[in-house]
Amino acid sequence: MTTVTQGAVDGLAAGGGVLMELSDEAAEFGRTALRALEAAGGDELAQTAEREPARRAELVVPVLDELGAWDLDPRGSADELEAAAALCRAAGWWAVPYPVAERLCRPVGGGADALVVVAPAAPAAPVAGLDLRLAAVALDGRRYAATAREPDGPARKSAFVVSLDLAPLAGAIAGAPAGGDAGDEDGAGADGAGDVALGMVLGCWTLLGMLDRAMVLTRTYILEREQFGQPLARFQGVQFQLTDAEVERAGVAELAGYALWSVETGRPEAVDDALALRLAAVEAAETVFRVTHQLHGAMGFCDETTLSWLSRYSQPLRRLPLGRSATQDALASRLGRRGLAGIFGPNAVMGAG
Amino acid sequence: MLTVLAPLHYGLASMEYDLGPEAAALRGRLRALVREHVPADYLGAFTADPADLAVAQDFCRLLADEGLLCMAWPEEFGGRGASLWEQTVVREEMWARHEPRGAQYMGVNWVGPTIMRHGTPEQRAQHLPPIARGEVIWCQGFSEPGAGSDLASLRTAARPDENGDGADDPPPRDPPPRDNGEASRGGGSTSRYGRAWRIHGQKIWTSYATMAQWCFLLARTSTSGRKQQGLTIFLVPMDAPGIEVRPIACMMGPHHLNEVFFDGVRVTERDVLGEVDGGWAVVQEVLAFERVGIARYARCERLLQEAPEALGDAWEELPAELRGRWARMLVHARRARLLAYRVVSRQGTGQVSPVDSAAYRIAVTRLDQESADVLMEIVTAAETAGDDGARFRRAVEDHARYAVASTVSSGSIEMQRILLSRALLAASGAPSSGQPRAAAPAKAGAAS
Repeated sequence: MTTVTQGAVDGLAAGGGVLMELSDEAAEFGRTALRALEAAGGDELAQTAEREPARRAELVVPVLDELGAWDLDPRGSADELEAAAALCRAAGWWAVPYPVAERLCRPVGGGADALVVVAPAAPAAPVAGLDLRLAAVALDGRRYAATAREPDGPARKSAFVVSLDLAPLAGAIAGAPAGGDAGDEDGAGADGAGDVALGMVLGCWTLLGMLDRAMVLTRTYILEREQFGQPLARFQGVQFQLTDAEVERAGVAELAGYALWSVETGRPEAVDDALALRLAAVEAAETVFRVTHQLHGAMGFCDETTLSWLSRYSQPLRRLPLGRSATQDALASRLGRRGLAGIFGPNAVMGAG
Repeated sequence: MLTVLAPLHYGLASMEYDLGPEAAALRGRLRALVREHVPADYLGAFTADPADLAVAQDFCRLLADEGLLCMAWPEEFGGRGASLWEQTVVREEMWARHEPRGAQYMGVNWVGPTIMRHGTPEQRAQHLPPIARGEVIWCQGFSEPGAGSDLASLRTAARPDENGDGADDPPPRDPPPRDNGEASRGGGSTSRYGRAWRIHGQKIWTSYATMAQWCFLLARTSTSGRKQQGLTIFLVPMDAPGIEVRPIACMMGPHHLNEVFFDGVRVTERDVLGEVDGGWAVVQEVLAFERVGIARYARCERLLQEAPEALGDAWEELPAELRGRWARMLVHARRARLLAYRVVSRQGTGQVSPVDSAAYRIAVTRLDQESADVLMEIVTAAETAGDDGARFRRAVEDHARYAVASTVSSGSIEMQRILLSRALLAASGAPSSGQPRAAAPAKAGAAS
């Protein structure tokens, strides 16, 4: 990937303003990934993996190898982080049955193949049956080595989620402070917070891809499905549900861009921003999947519709590491009295921020 | 054993969400002016206390002197062509502080620019300087009892003044009235200013009508053809004989809502903005100026951010669930701001889609109401601390009263949903980026 050199605002009076798009290279990488995953099976990837769980790595990993996904260094350059985000969104579009975001977040140094963000009280991740060396990080920045337990049910019910056994890492801190701007002597605290932000943000980009797809599928369905002699899309009751879901999806897309920028520019409140994104994403997923299921009617429950698969495989992303209420609690606890960075308040960034 | 993770080092970002030092400087300048010239307990110009209106009028003149009132206007009309982003900063700072420009934002944001585009040289010379100096208040005569969202159904009629002899016309001004050779269209008898009409009808929900000097009036001049045809914009002085304003008592406070009755108000061709019977196209432009509209998210964010300080130690005593809802509203405020920035960034490239603007309007109006609910619960659940706390409570109560109207005014949320769904469903398909964005245009809805 080339390094994008444009970054600074051109100047407010000259018309410069916020830049809300991924780099051209990252966006193109995402489009390439979307096509490559489609060629590798697209919607059938999840279906095949569920039927033959032992094959799920071989279904997906060669495509990602060919894409050069593992050559991406999302910790190394903004452009590559953006490419990683675009890849995650493409993976979400196809409900790729593989922990793409977790692998992209893997720690530097080769000690682990994937990083998962966990709630230590009930650590779990969609890594069943994969021969991966796992690292884990809790929201407070503590790091662990993680071992996946055996799955206790079929993938059809678990979506490949298994419980994890955690072992604290030597040198890991006993509680990184909010903001992640301090840590132990070797700086592990700051890195741990950075891991939390990176892991949550890329996971949300995957979920965003699922929301994108659910909306497109539903749009197509209501334009084609006729009742009372006309397409469902003609009914205002249907239209208004679609718009409410789209507002949620569009909002997540914008917050996903912001949180990615926060990580890539190393902002001290990157974990706040990641949690804010996650809260909005989980909330949006509730609305989007409720609406898209409703508008698909009974067809939405059937395996012959892609929505059914998307819906089921969105569950791990919506529940782990924390569900909606716990995410909201975690965000409120972190924010304390200072609030989110914005244009007002004690945490304000006067430009826009 | 895992390798200690490397610190995050990144190259230059392609994304940028900080508007930078120029925006910070502009915000700082505006905030300093507000601190110095607007009372801390100011809650807008439209109260029962005439001093509040005076604050707004004085502040507008100050902004005009500082070159900040019409900074977005082209240089030839006294502005300096400020960028869309500078305008965004001004919009945020003013709305966050209860709009100390009072009603002037309408003149600055859309009345003036519309007159620039469609006005005669005489109209520009007459109307633009007072707006630029912050000396004149306009009201918008669009909605009627039978025409709200369905604006084109309006019935206020401008009928040819068959008996008029021009005796009521004010003295002539230079340059002379135009002669566009269209006397046969739209009716109207002749006077020294060309054709003349008498206006009969009623407008409603007209904000600031009691204090306005001018009305940007949409009236029907023809009943033939589609209902969008035969509408004409008139620039009508509010002291013209035959105009009566009746305030409507409402929960938002005085001056917000009025009825305006027109009983034979005489207008001439000199008062027509644009073409006779061509008003609908002008209205669409007016609505386009309002694509982003009020920066409602800015006041929501300011009040939410100030809540902990206003409550002092009592903040920690709030139910955890309420503080969680507060955090959620902060997320939604950021979400609305980013959706607004999306519209602004597309405006800069001339690619605004109804998908973007309607999604923003839906999100921000819902934010207005939901944040009001959360803030009201916060100030009710605990004592606010000191004078600042009391001011905060009054600001929250004002916000809550005003937020009730946010999903109704300036294009109801239902109209936004119609626009959004029309655009989503008209799109030719999902682009390869995976975003279900639509490019197909949809007709703009009506404003109230």
